[in-house]
Amino acid sequence: MLAARLAAGDDRALAEVFDRLAPVVYSGALRVLGHDAAAQDVVQDVFVELWSHPGRYDPEAGSLRTYLTMQARHRAVDLVRSEMRRAARQERNGRLDPGQPGPSAYEQVMASEAAAAVRAAVEKLPESQRRMIELAYFKGLTCREAAKAAGIPEGTAKSRLRLALAKLETVLDRQLLGSS
Amino acid sequence: MTAAERRPALPDGLRDRVLAASLLARAAGRTEPAAAQITPAEAFSRAADALYGMLGALQEEDWGRPALRGLDVQGLVGHLTGVEEDVHRCLAGDPQVARASHVESTQAAADRQAGRSPVQTRAEWRRAADRTLDLVDAVGDADAAVAVHDMRLSLGMLLVIRAFELWIHENDIRQAAGLPPSVPDPSTLSLMTQAAAQFLPHAAAREGLREPTSVHLVLTGPGGGTWDIPVGHSGPAPASVGIVADAVEFCRLVANRAAPGGLDLHITGDPDRAAMVLAAASTLALD
Repeated sequence: MLAARLAAGDDRALAEVFDRLAPVVYSGALRVLGHDAAAQDVVQDVFVELWSHPGRYDPEAGSLRTYLTMQARHRAVDLVRSEMRRAARQERNGRLDPGQPGPSAYEQVMASEAAAAVRAAVEKLPESQRRMIELAYFKGLTCREAAKAAGIPEGTAKSRLRLALAKLETVLDRQLLGSS
Repeated sequence: MTAAERRPALPDGLRDRVLAASLLARAAGRTEPAAAQITPAEAFSRAADALYGMLGALQEEDWGRPALRGLDVQGLVGHLTGVEEDVHRCLAGDPQVARASHVESTQAAADRQAGRSPVQTRAEWRRAADRTLDLVDAVGDADAAVAVHDMRLSLGMLLVIRAFELWIHENDIRQAAGLPPSVPDPSTLSLMTQAAAQFLPHAAAREGLREPTSVHLVLTGPGGGTWDIPVGHSGPAPASVGIVADAVEFCRLVANRAAPGGLDLHITGDPDRAAMVLAAASTLALD
């Protein structure tokens, strides 16, 4: 009935769904992202999407609660992936600046449930790649500094870092989406 | 501690922000997916085509089956011819047809079918319906005011009501002949549900619903929609009544072909007030 009411443009149905399911959508997004503003954005995206395209929810396929929490999970993980890519781009451009004041989005992500998944994934990396991630991200060194600390050429350090980030993205997707 | 208690509270303002953003993306009341918009003349034309096609599929013996108000199928088609002829008179500016009774005025057209072949009856009605479309085309203004059968309304609205009537009588005949019911296409149904929502306050007033009431009407399925309709006298704090029904079923109720008790309804608010609204809706039928 709720799905049919949403399709019919019943704004009261939207409010009912929000009141009933927004708390679980929000808390799920917050667990993954660890960042209130980003979690709120996920909640907004999920509900705007539901209202704009109610037909994409198929009641035969599962409950609305499951559908919305899955949507929130996917969007939250997309945000994490996007942040990983941003970090990788910064690394490639040699513009990582560990001295920036305040927590970056990356650091906020690291403070969340995603952090546990990332750290677990880092543990599974080959030693050479894991070392670069630890130096560049957990210790906040620039690529040049990380290369010097590891005793390898800067080009090799960049290459290992790129490979490590690509693997982490894949593992992160699998772990976070798989846990929902 | 339950899972709900462990959850963080929603941040202040999030609800308002999300609901506002949602309604900005898609206005309340609009179905999704939206039905393609068609003109009232197109709706009438489609309803006429559907009826004509169905009549062509009837067996000879079906034409003599009882259909409605003592009319057999052939007589009911004759009634429809009579309605078209009254519409022709209306569009020709005949003032007498404004006060004519929908049933009595068309009885002669129903009676004259006796002794005719079904082919003749069907062809006469089709010519009358085509003539209606020609005259509407000649007027060329869907907003033109017309008056027929105690109704004063726009030409466009008259055509929607006529499409509604053709669909209802098509289904009267289908029932008489043992055929499955038909459903209008979403575009035609959308015009019908809009008309039903528009006339609801009039019907409620006619049926004596005086108390200020805000009806939140949700008609589900293709061709449906959502309306907030004030009925009764205006007042500072109208009672709110929510009615959710299938769009096709609600149209059958409006046509007095279904009783409220036979509908799968979801009612919120005062049930007695909702019952009054539904009873009023069922008086919109022309028959």
